[in-house]
Amino acid sequence: MTAREVVERIRKNVGIPWNEQSYRDTFKLGNPDMPITGIATTMMTTFGMLKRAHEQGLNMIVSHEDTWWNDRDDTKDLTENPLYKMKRDFVLNNGMVLWRMHDHMHAMRPDYTVVGSLRSVGVKGGENATMRPGILPIPETTLGEFASQAKRPSGIRAFRCVGDPKAKVKNVLLGPGYATPRMTPDADLVIGGEQQEADGGFDNVEYVRDANALGIPKGLIMLGHVASEEPGMEDLAKWLGTFISEVPIRFVPAGEPFWT
Amino acid sequence: MGTPFLSRRDFALIAGTAVSAAGLRAQAGSSATSVVDRILKGLGGEAPANSADGFKAGDPTSTVSGIATTAMATVEVLRQAVKAKTNLVLSYEPVFFSRADRPATPGGRGPGGLDPEDPVYKAKKKFIEDSGLIVYRFHDRWQARRQDDMVTGLAEALGWKDHAVTGSNALFDIPEATAEQIVGGIRARMKLSGGLRAVGDRTARVRRVLLHPGSMTAATMWTRYTEADLIIAGEVREWENTHFAADLFTAGEKHGLVTIGRVVSEDPGMRLCSTWIQSMVKEFPVRHFDAGDAYWRAV
Repeated sequence: MTAREVVERIRKNVGIPWNEQSYRDTFKLGNPDMPITGIATTMMTTFGMLKRAHEQGLNMIVSHEDTWWNDRDDTKDLTENPLYKMKRDFVLNNGMVLWRMHDHMHAMRPDYTVVGSLRSVGVKGGENATMRPGILPIPETTLGEFASQAKRPSGIRAFRCVGDPKAKVKNVLLGPGYATPRMTPDADLVIGGEQQEADGGFDNVEYVRDANALGIPKGLIMLGHVASEEPGMEDLAKWLGTFISEVPIRFVPAGEPFWT
Repeated sequence: MGTPFLSRRDFALIAGTAVSAAGLRAQAGSSATSVVDRILKGLGGEAPANSADGFKAGDPTSTVSGIATTAMATVEVLRQAVKAKTNLVLSYEPVFFSRADRPATPGGRGPGGLDPEDPVYKAKKKFIEDSGLIVYRFHDRWQARRQDDMVTGLAEALGWKDHAVTGSNALFDIPEATAEQIVGGIRARMKLSGGLRAVGDRTARVRRVLLHPGSMTAATMWTRYTEADLIIAGEVREWENTHFAADLFTAGEKHGLVTIGRVVSEDPGMRLCSTWIQSMVKEFPVRHFDAGDAYWRAV
């Protein structure tokens, strides 16, 4: 089985029209027509993840995020970069092939990144969630209690919170990755992956901070981009296993990059 | 609107605030517009095209009782400005939760749009107007200043002001320590409650650091990482610079990355901004208020 055949199989099973325009969901490096030894799903094609996949004998990477440190995987300014050369050579010398699955994952029903993110923080009812699941009710608790209970199972080190820990929360808006939803009057807890801190389209951090200062209790939890979307890549591996049986398929985490 | 601080000004005059005759004349005629004009003239230079700088809240024709600088005009900062009777607030970042800095329709990538009926927006706007505050966004013009006080301010806050590498705008040779020790020092000095995140080898020896307050682009990281043992930035994108730093770590390279938070990284530079304004605006109190670290960590 070749990597190209894997993508063709995905296309047949994805359940939504294939987006030919996507610059993200394309082959990034390696020969798509080479026979594959196994598939590794991951959140981001980090160098560390590539090494772990290679050790496990998996030579096709299906990654949600980029390889070359920019969304378009544009390498024109990187050709002389020593780290770029090292990572590229590792992939090519070990006969690996990289394919990204981003836009199709977010368009799929369910969106496994959302499903996995909700599961990881213990919010129930998101088993079939799509990209924007809307408000999900949780048993009323405080922001501080929710955060403490969610941190442990999520395993996230840089579990960042904004708002009064005593703020009562019961209506959750969640969006992993860079799709952190904006706080709305109906919601009292936003859980996101990553967001520009200020000067953006909607600055949740300042909004939640000011809401609390003005006596409107709200909470914001930022899980991290990788940490918020990584659990869903395990779901993706399972889904691939429902229609690919020729090669082993494993979830190989990129891993939260932070220490604090 | 305007009445509260007019009476405050009257009070200041009656109370005999020590001001020169020239100061009194200036004070009597000093609208926020004219004070900002003076500051911009003193600064020189031009605003870049599509600059977001400008008056964002309150009445720019109102009389100034004093000036407050901050990285971000949060409600907590604004309350301190009211207490200090510094009603013209110069904020490096927006006051109304977006670059648009006013109710706007959603657009672009990520969350967008602020409803004019949004309760937090309305309450903050009302607080500003009722308190007679005027908020001016002072970002691009201050950042464009040739003498980069955003970097100098951060270096000063971290205790490294005297360690600048000659001829460099951002490099500092600091007393050697491990990345972990340096991060501990940064956390204590900047009073960080939860926003700091580090990538790389925590045991790596660090001697030269690169300071980059605010947001750092991927291209800056790719081209400058070899210059320092540790890059200390405000914020970066996780799939860009963080990813790059994680790959450097895997490759065994000793170039770490620490992000301390965008707003927190900008507070010290705005403190220097208040010092600079003090040197040219003598008739009002000029104060700085840190916006501080918004984050805390779940335990």
